[in-house]
Amino acid sequence: QASDGGRALCDTLFPAVDVLLKAVGDTPIMRTKKWAVERTRTIQGLVDFIKKFLKLMASEQLFIYVNQSFAPSPDQEVGTLYECFGSDGKLVLHYCKTQAWG
Amino acid sequence: MTDDKDVLRDVWFGRIPTCFTLYQDEITEREADPYYLLLPRVSYLTLVTDKVKKHFQKVMKQEEVSEIWFEYEGTPLKWHYPIGLLFDLHASNTALPWSITVHFKKVVELLFFLKHFHCNLFLVSRVRERLLRSANFPEKDLLHCHSKDVIEAHFMACIKEADALKHKSQVINEMQKKDHKQLWMGLQNDKFEQFWAINRKLMEYPPEDNGFRYIPFRIYQATTERPFIQKLFRPIASGGQLHTLGDLLKDVCPSAITPEDGEQKTQVMIHGIEPMLETPIQWLSEHMSYPDNFLHISIIPRPTD
Repeated sequence: QASDGGRALCDTLFPAVDVLLKAVGDTPIMRTKKWAVERTRTIQGLVDFIKKFLKLMASEQLFIYVNQSFAPSPDQEVGTLYECFGSDGKLVLHYCKTQAWG
Repeated sequence: MTDDKDVLRDVWFGRIPTCFTLYQDEITEREADPYYLLLPRVSYLTLVTDKVKKHFQKVMKQEEVSEIWFEYEGTPLKWHYPIGLLFDLHASNTALPWSITVHFKKVVELLFFLKHFHCNLFLVSRVRERLLRSANFPEKDLLHCHSKDVIEAHFMACIKEADALKHKSQVINEMQKKDHKQLWMGLQNDKFEQFWAINRKLMEYPPEDNGFRYIPFRIYQATTERPFIQKLFRPIASGGQLHTLGDLLKDVCPSAITPEDGEQKTQVMIHGIEPMLETPIQWLSEHMSYPDNFLHISIIPRPTD
């Protein structure tokens, strides 16, 4: 495992991480699926972005899932999720207008 | 082992004596007595403060009541962090009881200001709607908690995330919905046996391994900008030896254990104690995780007395 010095350098050199957004069910599919997202962007920030992009109303719900198994807290940072659950250089997130995996 | 089971009970039944005081602004008509309560370290503020709400509602008009939120010395307390973590992080070296300020009242006085300006009545009513919904709710710091369902959803999501790290979600996914429900009910009703009947399965691992795949942990420091540190960390080294708490800190947060000027300026705290740095992290994960299955670790300044 890299030392903390190595990891901190990593955060500075690579401030953004690749996120792949996948639609679930009959949720509209984003034309652009792959995004470079700042590590410090929160899930809530990402939700707001997706809603704007898909022209959903602010009042509509949007659920985000990691590994098709859990919904991260709205204040969780994308960078942390990438570190823990990313693979092949990207973090795959599923999004859905209704609850998919509880 | 009897000793180890005692640790599970000690963690579960840890309590923090707390004094809740209503936020006093100039508009308050009546004074409310403070309310004293023993808070479970392993639970969540919005889950265990119904009595606090009832107490302070007595001195408020129904239309003034808005979403309750809590603050300690100016810092809004995140209800979605376990109570013990909040205390260790913000108040552990201060005198008991823990003094928490309760915010509960809608911002009513601004209405007067708006009416005074003869604004477009429609606009006034729309703005009034928004104002009356909040008691200066610190949107940037806190999540909303409109019902117990929100707490349950958050709790279960943490457990699922922890199991994704420990077992690639295999154990949590094999459980039935009623087992998930039992974890939540055990926490909500403070039922140790009920909770651990299911949780013990989340603490198991295949006999050929010597521990979990990765340890679910979060390290918090009140002094830094970032909310917490969470990374992948294996409990067993490639040579087979058990990684310790010290190994974890050296890897992800070395400043926590590096002495400055020959002195140890910080404390590493879990559930109000400083575990020895030589403790195997696998053991800590099995015995000192919170009910959400995460090890929540606070790095705080060492008191200088």
